[in-house]
Amino acid sequence: MFDIVGLWQGFQIAFSPVNLLWCFIGSVLGTAVGVLPGLGPAATIALLLPISMKMGSPVTAIILMSGIFYGAMYGGSTTSILLNIPGEAASVVTCIDGYQMAKKGRAGPALGVAAIGSFVAGTFGVLGMTVMAPPLAEAALKFGPPEYFSLTVLGLLLATYLTGESPLKGLIMAIMGLVLGSVGLDPLSGAVRFDFGIADLQSNIDFVTIAMGLFGVGEILISLESSEAASILTTTIKNVFPTMADLARSGWAMVRGSVIGFAVGILPGGGAVLSSLISYAVEKKASKHPEEFGHGAIEGVAGPEAANNAAASSSFIPLLTLGIPGNASTAMIFAALLIHGITPGPFLLKEHADVFWGVVASMYIGNVILVVLNLPLVGMWAQLLRVPYAFMAPLIMVLTLVGVYSVNNSVFDIWVMLVMGIFGYLARKLKFDLGPLLLAFVLGPIMERSLRQALLMSHGGFGIFFTRPISGALMATAILFVLYNLWAARKKQRGGQATAA
Amino acid sequence: MKSWQRYAGLFFLVVAAIVIQQSIWVLRLFDHGQPGSGFMPFGLGVILAILALGLIATQRGPEERRIPFWEPRAWLHPLLAVIITAVYIVVFDDIGAITSVVVLVTGWLLFVERKSVVVAAGTGVLTGLVVYLVFDRLLQTPFPRGILF
Repeated sequence: MFDIVGLWQGFQIAFSPVNLLWCFIGSVLGTAVGVLPGLGPAATIALLLPISMKMGSPVTAIILMSGIFYGAMYGGSTTSILLNIPGEAASVVTCIDGYQMAKKGRAGPALGVAAIGSFVAGTFGVLGMTVMAPPLAEAALKFGPPEYFSLTVLGLLLATYLTGESPLKGLIMAIMGLVLGSVGLDPLSGAVRFDFGIADLQSNIDFVTIAMGLFGVGEILISLESSEAASILTTTIKNVFPTMADLARSGWAMVRGSVIGFAVGILPGGGAVLSSLISYAVEKKASKHPEEFGHGAIEGVAGPEAANNAAASSSFIPLLTLGIPGNASTAMIFAALLIHGITPGPFLLKEHADVFWGVVASMYIGNVILVVLNLPLVGMWAQLLRVPYAFMAPLIMVLTLVGVYSVNNSVFDIWVMLVMGIFGYLARKLKFDLGPLLLAFVLGPIMERSLRQALLMSHGGFGIFFTRPISGALMATAILFVLYNLWAARKKQRGGQATAA
Repeated sequence: MKSWQRYAGLFFLVVAAIVIQQSIWVLRLFDHGQPGSGFMPFGLGVILAILALGLIATQRGPEERRIPFWEPRAWLHPLLAVIITAVYIVVFDDIGAITSVVVLVTGWLLFVERKSVVVAAGTGVLTGLVVYLVFDRLLQTPFPRGILF
């Protein structure tokens, strides 16, 4: 059914002392950034990209970054439950019932169920990945330039429509990402584009610089606007191990959340946020006591927390098998793989099986580490919320500045990062989602190369994207998806006008 | 907020215009009958222009509820942070990486966070020391040497 030998070798790699240590460090860092509001997993991975370059082994670097990504999903619930502020975006839904449970003195069971749900779903997600990824990678070997172009178009459209509030703004950000990705050397002809006479722009803009600017500096600037300090709910955290009654109520919610999260996580842009929202809606519908939702229903914590963890795991499937990252965090991991000379995609499993199976195996281990870190030690993580942000902000800024310099030893890169940080800050204030920009920046070169190679194959005819079966199906899906969304938006607008009249 | 959204639309329209101009006049749309280096950027510029016009069009008319872009004085801390960071970059090569880290953290804590001189300077020196040990000694990043290191 799946490559048991590969998985066994993966465990041998993941259990080496160095990888085990970095898996632990990633899980700890991930939980910490999940707990701390303001600093998300994407920003943290961006901050660590320069350090990862110094790591000799790509497996070790990806194990660290993956740990941060799925670790943040675990940690995010702590802040949601204790502060009513999501530690990171995927835990927004957990605030609704988690905080109500904490107010009723049930913070312990809420945190416990969140951790157990995360463990169940995280493990389910990795199991699904173990089974699904190899055949998907095999199928992707049949992809040529037209298929890759259609896939990147569909991926970007899905990511744009599913992540943000406004598809229009998401599309603008995606195009900006593609434009930024085209600065520097043309991948096919070698011509220099958009350098405006600046020598430093003749080589392409570095991914780390863009990522650190948008997600590191941008987040710091936004956080500096609000000076109010959040206060931890003054409740004692006890009974983190849920009772049998709690487990009985939340068990099926965890199962449903795992399945929903896994399915949604595979979609580009689907990810953890969307899956937790869907899971919450499903749990409310499935519950015998829907009136309890919003007032401390334990299923309202278990389902979404399971969903966001399963989604975090399954989002690695398109990244590692197709070479298409579905969200900002996996885009960072994509870049880290490229930095280490490994191209994510169908050949990864054949040419770098050690990287693939090593990372998969580390996820099993990471989930165990995380449940141990998050169940008995949850009180310690709550204390982290007392660290004043006044000191953290300049320290994070130093890490971004020094980090980005260390990539190319270039002061120009620091200027670019600052400009991107200001752009990210203003874009956030105007409710533009930055995820599509980063995804498009990463996918841009693949997209352009595929487009131009496909047009070379067809002697300039665009029909090639529609006449080949896989490419045609992907393009048709993309077009239908856009048309459906336009129709839905029009219907909503008319509904609004009728109500107003 | 609508007016700021319109300004954003105008900004993207200008970007689109530059991209289109460069694609046509500086780069090649077609090269020997095949798509050239300006082919995809030209397409992106056109799509961006349409989307930017769409953004401006959807933000017409008076606002239902006026939401200020910045709460009173909320712009001050981000602006100070940007200025201090810009100073850091300007002096980076001249006074050296580690010293400029000390200047950045001390300045940030003094002017942005309003901490006392002792706390600000102490944290600055400590951060500089950690950066020196981790990046300079451990990771051997080739920092520019300055007045202290």
